[in-house]
Amino acid sequence: MKNRQQGKISLVILLSIISVFIVGCWDSRELSTLSLIAGLGFDLDPATKRATLTYQSIVPSQVKPSPSMGGGEGKQTGSGGLQSIQLDHDTGLSPYEVLNRYTQHGSRIPFYQHTQVIVIGKAAAEHGLYPFLDTVIRNPAGRPNILLAISDNKASDILAVEDGMENIQAVGMANIIKLSARFSKYPAVTCLDFTSRFIGKTTAPVAPIMGVFEETGPEGKRQKKIRINGTAVFKGDKMIGKLNEQESSGLLWVINQIEKGFVIIPEASLEIIGSKTKIIPELTGGKIKITVEIEEEANLIQYNNARNITPDLIHQLEKAQAREIESQVKAVIKKSMALNADIFDFGGAVHRKYKKEWKKMEPRWDDIYPTIEVSVKVKTRLDEIGDINKAIMTE
Amino acid sequence: MLEKGRISSFQLSVLLVGFVLGSSIIITPGGDAGHDAWIAIALGLMEGSLIALIFTALVLRFKDKTIIEINDLVFGKVIGKLISVLFLWYFLHLGALVLNDYVHFFRLELYPATPRTVMLLIIMLVCASTVNRGIEALARCSLILVPLTISVIFLVTMFLIPHFNLNNLMPILDLPIGKLLWSAHSVASFPFAESVVFVMILAFLNKSEKGGRAVSKALIIAGLVLIIASIRNSAVLGPMVAAYNYPSYQAVQVIDIRDIFTRLEILVAINFITMGFLKISVLLYGTVLGLAQVLNLQSYRPIILPVGILMVILALTNVANTIELFDFTHKIYPIYAVPFQIIIPLITLIIAKLRQLPKTDGGMP
Repeated sequence: MKNRQQGKISLVILLSIISVFIVGCWDSRELSTLSLIAGLGFDLDPATKRATLTYQSIVPSQVKPSPSMGGGEGKQTGSGGLQSIQLDHDTGLSPYEVLNRYTQHGSRIPFYQHTQVIVIGKAAAEHGLYPFLDTVIRNPAGRPNILLAISDNKASDILAVEDGMENIQAVGMANIIKLSARFSKYPAVTCLDFTSRFIGKTTAPVAPIMGVFEETGPEGKRQKKIRINGTAVFKGDKMIGKLNEQESSGLLWVINQIEKGFVIIPEASLEIIGSKTKIIPELTGGKIKITVEIEEEANLIQYNNARNITPDLIHQLEKAQAREIESQVKAVIKKSMALNADIFDFGGAVHRKYKKEWKKMEPRWDDIYPTIEVSVKVKTRLDEIGDINKAIMTE
Repeated sequence: MLEKGRISSFQLSVLLVGFVLGSSIIITPGGDAGHDAWIAIALGLMEGSLIALIFTALVLRFKDKTIIEINDLVFGKVIGKLISVLFLWYFLHLGALVLNDYVHFFRLELYPATPRTVMLLIIMLVCASTVNRGIEALARCSLILVPLTISVIFLVTMFLIPHFNLNNLMPILDLPIGKLLWSAHSVASFPFAESVVFVMILAFLNKSEKGGRAVSKALIIAGLVLIIASIRNSAVLGPMVAAYNYPSYQAVQVIDIRDIFTRLEILVAINFITMGFLKISVLLYGTVLGLAQVLNLQSYRPIILPVGILMVILALTNVANTIELFDFTHKIYPIYAVPFQIIIPLITLIIAKLRQLPKTDGGMP
C-alpha cells in the first residue's frame, strides 16, 4: 500500500518535471510567426556590388484550394484582389547582410524549409555565385533539392510575374522547370546537382534560364508570362554562356537525362519512349577520343505526307531521326568546346576509366578539353505507328 | 556480484549492433575516403573484428568476470586497479564524445535555441534511469530499438534508389593506398573497436561459450548496415558526400516520392536519438559498474547520477566547437584509442596466458 502511494507521488513529480521540459520548448515555431518563403531571388548590382534578395512569401490565409480541387475562383488577379503571395526585397553587401535587414521591416521570421525555387539574376550569375551558394548550402534550413533558375534579366522581375495555374507563383515556376525537364527540353537543376558539379572542379555547372515575355492575351489585355528560354553555362561560379533550345536538348541527350518528349523532323513528329546514352572515353597516345553512344526508341505520332507507312519508310524515318538527334548533340558539343566548359562531365568519364592518367590531366583539363575528338553514334528504333495503318487521304 | 542480471547471446548481439551503429549512424565513418568510404568501412570492419577477438578471448577466458576483476587477478591489486582506472577514463571520455556528437547534431539541425546543458541533461536522465534498471533492461531496450532502426535505414534506402547514380562510386580505389589504410584504421577505432566497452558486459552472458560468435556476428551486421548507408550516401550525393557534415541527413532530404514522401530526414534524427541512447547507456553502464568494482562498493546504483553528471560536464568542456570535435575524431582519436582498444587487452591476455590464469579449481574466489 505504502509502495503504491510512493509510486503515485513519484509519478506526479516526474510528470511535472517533464512538463517543464516539453512545454517550454526553446525552438518552438508557430505558423503565425513565420513567413514561408516560396521563392527567393538573388540579384547583384555589378557596379556597387550590392546584393538584393527578393522574397516571395506565402500568405497562408489567402491560399485557396486550386480550382480543380473543387470550387474556388483560383488565383485572384488585378490590383484590387487579395494575393496569396507577397513580395519583399532588401539590399546589402552580402547575402546575410540582406537577410539581416529583413528584420527591420518584416513582421514574421523568414522560413526557408518550403522554398521551391531560387532565381538568380543574370548580373549576379556573371559576377560569381560563391557567397550566395555558400549561404544556401551551409544554412541547415536550405534543402539540397531546391531548384535553381537563372533569370535572363533581374531575378526580382521574374518573381513579380503573376502567371500560371498555381496559387503560389514559385510553385508554378518549380513545376515549369520540372515539366520542361520531363519533356526533355531543359535540365532541371537542384542545389545539390549544381554544387556537385561545382565541387568536381572540371565539370561545368548548368542551370535553366527563365525570362519574362509580354503578350496580348485572348481578352486583348497585355499580360506577362514566364518561360524557360535557354540553359546557362557556368565556369566555376561565373556564368559564361548560354545554350539555346536545340543545344539544351543536345545536352540532355549527352548526359542521359532524356525522359519523354518529341523529336521533330521535316516529314514527321516522333514521341520519345526511352533513351540511353553511354559516354565511352578512349586514351590513345596521350590524346582523348570520346564516343557518345545514344540508343533511342520512339513512336510515330504524326506523319505529314498522305502515304501508307511501309517498313522501308520506317527505316527512312529512323535514319532521319538519328540525323536530327546527332545534329542537336553536335551543336551542343561545338558550343561547349567554344566556351571551353565541360558541361557533359567528360572529365568524370575519363576519370572513371583512366584513374592514374587522370591525376596528370585534371590540372590541365582546360587545355585538353577543346582538343578532344568527339564522335556521336545514334541508333534509333521506331516502334509503334499509332492507331491507323493507312493514310486516310490519298495523294 | 554487483550485477545479478543475465543476458542471452542474442541480446548481446543486438545490443552490440546498436552500440556500433550509435553515432556512426549520422557521422558516416570513413568520410575522409570520399566515395571509397565503403571500402574503408569493409577494411575497418576486418581490423575491428580482429581487435574484438582479443578482448573477447580475454574476457571469455575468465567466464563471469569483468575486466576490472580480471585486471586485479592478472596484474595484482595495485597495478590492476591503475589499469582499470585507465579503462574507466576511456569509457567516460568516449561517453562524453558521443554526447558531444549528439548535442552538436541536434543543435545544428533541429534545436538551435535549446541550451546544450538542458539537452545533455535530458538524454542523461533517460540513460541513467535505464542503467539503474540493470543490464537486462538495457538489452531489452535494444531488442526493440535496433530492429526499428535497421528497418528505417532500409526503408529510406529503398526510397532513395531512384536518386542513385552509381557512376558516383567510380572509380573504385581512387585513393592513395596510405590514405585508404588510415581511413580504414580510423573506421576500426570508431566505431568497431569501441565495442571494447563490452569487456564490462560479456561477463553477464548466460552461456559464455557463445560470446565470441555473438560479438563477431554483431560486428558484421552493423558493418553491413554502415556499408549500405555509405554506398547510398555516395551514390546520392556524389562528390558532395565529403563536404557535408552529416551526409545521411542530407541524402534523406533528397527523397521526394510524388510529393507525398518528402522531408523524411527526421527519421534519421530519430535513429540517432535511439542508437545514441543505447551507446551512451552502455558506456555509462560500463563506467559506473567498473567504478563500483574498483572501489569495492556494495551497489553501483548510487553513483549512476554523479558519474552521469560528470560525463555531461566533460562533454560540455572537452571540445569548443564542431570542427574541433571532428578534427579530434578524425586525426587524434584513431591513435588515442589504440592503447585502450588493442594494447592493454593484448598485454593482459598474454600475461594471463603466461601465468596460466584463471587457475582451474584453484582457491580463487
